Amino acid sequence: MATRLLRIFSSDLIVLKGQQVRYGHRMRGVPPTKARTLQQRLDELNYKDPELALQVNIGLPLPKRSRAEITSKWLSELKQHRSDSEYERKARHRELIIDMEAEKKDWLQTSAPLQCKTIAKHYEIFEHLYGDAYFYPIVPLDIDYDFGSEDSLARVYRGNIIKSDEAKQAPSITYKAESDTLWTLLFTTPDGVLTDANEYCHWFIGNIPGNEVSKGEQLMDYLRPIPPRGVGYCRYIFVLYKQDKKIDYSEYKTEQPCLALEKRSFNTRNFYQKHQDYITPAGLAFYQATWDSSLTDVYHNTLKMEEPAFEYDFPQPYIKPQTWFPLKQPFNLYLDKYRDPKDVNKDYLLKKLKKVHPFKAPEPPLKFPNAHRLPDDMPSWLKLEVKKNRMGLGRINEIE
Amino acid sequence: MYASYVGVKSLRITGYTLSSFLYGRQVHSNAELLNNCTKVENKNPRNMELLRIARKPVGYQLEKPGRNYWHKLQLSKTGRHVTAEVIHFQNGPVVSASTIEWSIKKQLYRLKDASAYQNIGQILARRCLESGIYFMRCDIRSSDGDKIKLFLKEIKRNGITLQEHKCYHNPQPWSSDRPEKPWAVVE
Repeated sequence: MATRLLRIFSSDLIVLKGQQVRYGHRMRGVPPTKARTLQQRLDELNYKDPELALQVNIGLPLPKRSRAEITSKWLSELKQHRSDSEYERKARHRELIIDMEAEKKDWLQTSAPLQCKTIAKHYEIFEHLYGDAYFYPIVPLDIDYDFGSEDSLARVYRGNIIKSDEAKQAPSITYKAESDTLWTLLFTTPDGVLTDANEYCHWFIGNIPGNEVSKGEQLMDYLRPIPPRGVGYCRYIFVLYKQDKKIDYSEYKTEQPCLALEKRSFNTRNFYQKHQDYITPAGLAFYQATWDSSLTDVYHNTLKMEEPAFEYDFPQPYIKPQTWFPLKQPFNLYLDKYRDPKDVNKDYLLKKLKKVHPFKAPEPPLKFPNAHRLPDDMPSWLKLEVKKNRMGLGRINEIE
Repeated sequence: MYASYVGVKSLRITGYTLSSFLYGRQVHSNAELLNNCTKVENKNPRNMELLRIARKPVGYQLEKPGRNYWHKLQLSKTGRHVTAEVIHFQNGPVVSASTIEWSIKKQLYRLKDASAYQNIGQILARRCLESGIYFMRCDIRSSDGDKIKLFLKEIKRNGITLQEHKCYHNPQPWSSDRPEKPWAVVE
């Protein structure tokens, strides 16, 4: 009996030498065969109801090309290239560099609207201008800033970065349009708005006959981009609308030059909702600009205000609730965490000012900061503190 | 605390509507506007990536290629065509150039030869510059083949940097060093 009992319990009681035992091991969560993957869980979290997230196309329809037209017109051209021995030779020697201008021209007529929409979505242009609507930019816009350079212009594409200094003067705008059509041009920014408005309108021209922008009715004059300091890169968006008839825009008209920023508050969504029966978005171009030193003068002398400066609000670190007996913690660092950071910095500043003499030159910095012997009776935590201060590590950076 | 905040807010709104009812819409001067402004929002989703403070997925240690990127260059070839794309970690392909496009196909002799790769590289680089994407990660190795080497060379030659910046982590008061703030550097 005893041997039998021993045999039963021996596997539980006696642990063989060298055998790995997982003390306190238990299954955490659902077993792997049943659990969902991280991707599945993320998809579930980010799920949007397709009915609620429905996007509406508010633009002009994409030009339709029949397959027969493509094959008949283009394929013959392609065959011609293929039979050309010069082409073959160039391709073989890797000298066949395609003509970028011609490529761009063809691209604008074929896949450009689709690709432009993709990148505009990447920049969330439609979401911030219209909410649940989008459009395909059918009409290519050529917007060039002349910034005084003899050989180059700053062109607005689809999110490229242009210096705010280069966008001082109103750009030249060209697009293809028949002379009997009417157009509206809006230049707005949804970023870095100082009031609770949705956007600032930087330029508004209505009832443009054909492509003669200068002959249109200027409702708001051009204001150069004014991204505030510290806010980063703001989007500046040109949208061209096609009008079905002449529209009375007198409610948007402001005195010119319009320098009160509050008067430039704008909401594209409301604007579009009001006039949607007669306007259709057709063209889109946008760029990004950030603060530069030339803007100080604009804020002070043109807009008559102080220059705003902002800083990104980083999330505050989590600090554990304080305990009576913090074990395995350096007491000085532990206590500093729970003090007001201003007090801590004040201590450092006072220590620094103690060494400063109003009439004597400041002490020269130590050439080999850690080579200077510290007193033997100094506690180790204080030695470390002194060494850190000498090396410029840690909290001393807060006051310098 | 919360209640008082709401009270003040509603008071301001009522005052505003009353004055606008009596005297028409009141326009504040720019200086006054700035006094009331305590925070400003930049809604540009790419701004945080340009400032290097956006979140970058870490991925898994044993996974290859990793997921630690905002934008990544991808090259894929099918039986007939070559396609180069820039992938965003959330939005998928955002910029692309392919021999399937008529505008490119038209001027090529073969759709998968070395000169096709070369031209695809050139066009993709230009489209990226026009779309404001100047930095991207690249897991394609130039040792993978002669054509791929040509493709990468063209991309670099046209001004794209095939490496992304590291994320900026905000230092805590007790951190030892203070890394340079990317947005404070003005050219």
